[in-house]
Amino acid sequence: MEKLRDLFAKIPRWLMEERPQKSYWGRKWEITWKNTLVTAAILAVATLVAWIYNRISESTVNIVMFYTVALIFIPRFTEGYVPGIAAAMISVVCVNYLFTYPYSRLDFTQEGYPVTFFCMMLIAVVVSAVTSYTKEQSRTLAAQEKQLREAEKEKLRANLLRAVSHDLRTPLTGIIGASSSYLENESRLSEEEKRNMVRHIGTDANWLLNMVENLLTVTRIRDGAINSVNKSMEAVEEVLSGAVGRVRKRVPQIQVTVRMPEDFIMIPMDAMLIEQVLVNLMENAHFHAHSAKPIELYTVNEAHFVRFSVRDYGTGIAPDRLETIFDGEALTDGGDPDSYRGMGIGLSICKTIIAAHGGRIEAKNCDQGAQISFWLPREETDQDVKAYS
Amino acid sequence: MAVNGTILIVEDEDSICDFIATSLRAQNYKTVEAKNAREGIALAASLCPDLILLDLGLPDMDGGEVIKSVRQWSMLPIIVISARSQEKEKVQALDMGADDYITKPFGVPELMARIRTAMRHGMIAVGGRPAAQVFRVGDLMLDFEKRLVKLGGTEIHLTQVEYKIVAFLARNAGKVMTYDAVISHVWGPYMDDNNRILRVNMANIRRKIEKNPAEPRYIFTETGVGYRMAEEE
Repeated sequence: MEKLRDLFAKIPRWLMEERPQKSYWGRKWEITWKNTLVTAAILAVATLVAWIYNRISESTVNIVMFYTVALIFIPRFTEGYVPGIAAAMISVVCVNYLFTYPYSRLDFTQEGYPVTFFCMMLIAVVVSAVTSYTKEQSRTLAAQEKQLREAEKEKLRANLLRAVSHDLRTPLTGIIGASSSYLENESRLSEEEKRNMVRHIGTDANWLLNMVENLLTVTRIRDGAINSVNKSMEAVEEVLSGAVGRVRKRVPQIQVTVRMPEDFIMIPMDAMLIEQVLVNLMENAHFHAHSAKPIELYTVNEAHFVRFSVRDYGTGIAPDRLETIFDGEALTDGGDPDSYRGMGIGLSICKTIIAAHGGRIEAKNCDQGAQISFWLPREETDQDVKAYS
Repeated sequence: MAVNGTILIVEDEDSICDFIATSLRAQNYKTVEAKNAREGIALAASLCPDLILLDLGLPDMDGGEVIKSVRQWSMLPIIVISARSQEKEKVQALDMGADDYITKPFGVPELMARIRTAMRHGMIAVGGRPAAQVFRVGDLMLDFEKRLVKLGGTEIHLTQVEYKIVAFLARNAGKVMTYDAVISHVWGPYMDDNNRILRVNMANIRRKIEKNPAEPRYIFTETGVGYRMAEEE
C-alpha cells in the first residue's frame, strides 16, 4: 500500500516534467520550416491582393495597409519573433520595390521612408510580443487544467484503493487471527471452538473472493467508455439462471423468485459481467433489506431495452442515499454498520458495467422495500422469436 | 478399505496442491503430485493414473500441452482447474480433450462430485462398463432405446432436434458440453458458429421439462462455455 501511494504521488510530478526542454529564449528566436512557409504564404497573399488593388484603383495609398494587416496575422500563426520581424523587412522591401516609383527598383532615399520602415518594424515586434504572450498564457492554462483533471482522476483512484484495502484488511485480519490462534492453541481449544474458527475463516475468505471477483470484472472493461465490453448475443433467461445459480452457491439461505416473459429473447452483452451485476444486486438486497419475503428478480421486454429488476420487501434505501448509492461513496462514510459488507464497491461496479453496455441503472423505493433496475439495449433486428410460435 | 483410484495432481501452487491431496486421501484416493507440466506428462505416462487434475497456469508450459500430450495415447479423464472469468480458456481446454473443468476457488464436495463423474464416464469410454439404457435424474427419465422422455410419469413431446440435444447431454450427464460440441453432435460439423439456434431450442426444451426455466433443475447453463445436465442420483 505504501509503495502504491508513493507511485501515485510520483505521477503528477512526472506530468509536469513532460513539457519540451527547449529554453524560453531559444524558442523565441528559433527558425523553423513551418514558420518560414506560413510567413511566405501570408506575404504572398498580401502582395497578390495589393497588386490586384493597385491594378484596379491605380492608387498606391493603401498598399502599406495590406502589408500591415499581413504583419498582424503572421505572428498569430507562427511561433516566436523571427517571422514577424523578417516579414516587416520583406514588406518594406516589397512596397518599395513593387509599388513605389521607381517601380522594380529599390530606392530608400525617398522622403518619409524611415518613418514607414520604423512603423512597420514596430507593428511587427509589438504584435509578435503580444501574441506569443497570449499563446504562452493559454498553453499554461491548458496544462494546468490537464493537471487538475489528472489530479481528480488520481483522487478517485486513491479513494477506491483506500476503500478496497480497508475492506480487504478486515476479513484478512480475521483469517490471519483465526488461523494463527488455531495453530498456537490447538490443544486447548474445544472441538466446537475449532469448528467455529475454521468456519469463520471460510466465511471471511468467501467474502474476500466476492470482492476480488468484483474487482476482476472491472478489468474486463476497457476505459469505462460506452460499448467497451466484448458483447455476444446471450439468452436473457440463461443469464438469469446463471446468476441465481451463482448467488445460491455463495449464499445458500437466500430466497429468490425469478419471473420472466414467455418470449425468448437474446440481447448483446458480456454475460459474465451481467451475471456479476445480478449477483451483486441480489446479495445487496439479501444483506441490507432485512426482509422475510423472498427477493424478486424479473425482466421486462421493452421496445428498445430489456429491463432487469431486483425487488425486495425490506426496509428500503435511505432517501438521501438514493442519488449516490452507485457512486461508491457509501463505503467511506464509516457510519454504516453494514460497511463491512462493502456493497459500496459492488454497486459502483454495477454502474460501471451497465454504463459500459450502453445501459442505465436506477434505484428507487417502493411502497415496501426497494427496487433496483437496469436497462440493457436490445438490437432492433428480427432477433426475437416467440418461444411458442 | 480399497483404494478408489490413483489421481495425478498437476499444480504448481503448494497450498492448493496440499489441500486437494489431503482431501483426496481422506476419500481413499491415492495421489501423486507434479509441480510442472513436464513432470506431469512424465508421471502420467509412467503411472497411468485413473484421472488427472490439471491446473492450466503452469510455470514451464501451458497446461494445454499436457492435455495434447496425454490425449495422444490415452483417453484417461482429465479435469482442468481454471480461474474464473476466462471462458475462452475453458472452452479451449475442453476442445483439446479435457473431460471437464472446475473453477477456482472450489469446495471439496464439488471437486469430489466432478471426480466421480469423470471416473464413471472414463470407465464407459474405455468399455469397462456398459452405458445405461435409462437415464434418471429427479423426475426426469430418458429411455435411450425407446427415445422416450418422461417427466414425473407423463411423457414429454420433444422434437427430433430437442431430443437429440437432451439425449446428448444426458449421455454426458455431470459433464459440461461446449456449445460447439452440442452443435456439431446435433447438426453436424458444417453448421456455422452461430449458436442462436441452439439457444432457442434449449429455451424450448426448458419450457417443456423445467418447472421454472429461470431456475433449472436438470439442464444448467455454464455461462460462456456450454450446458451441463444434472447427474443421476
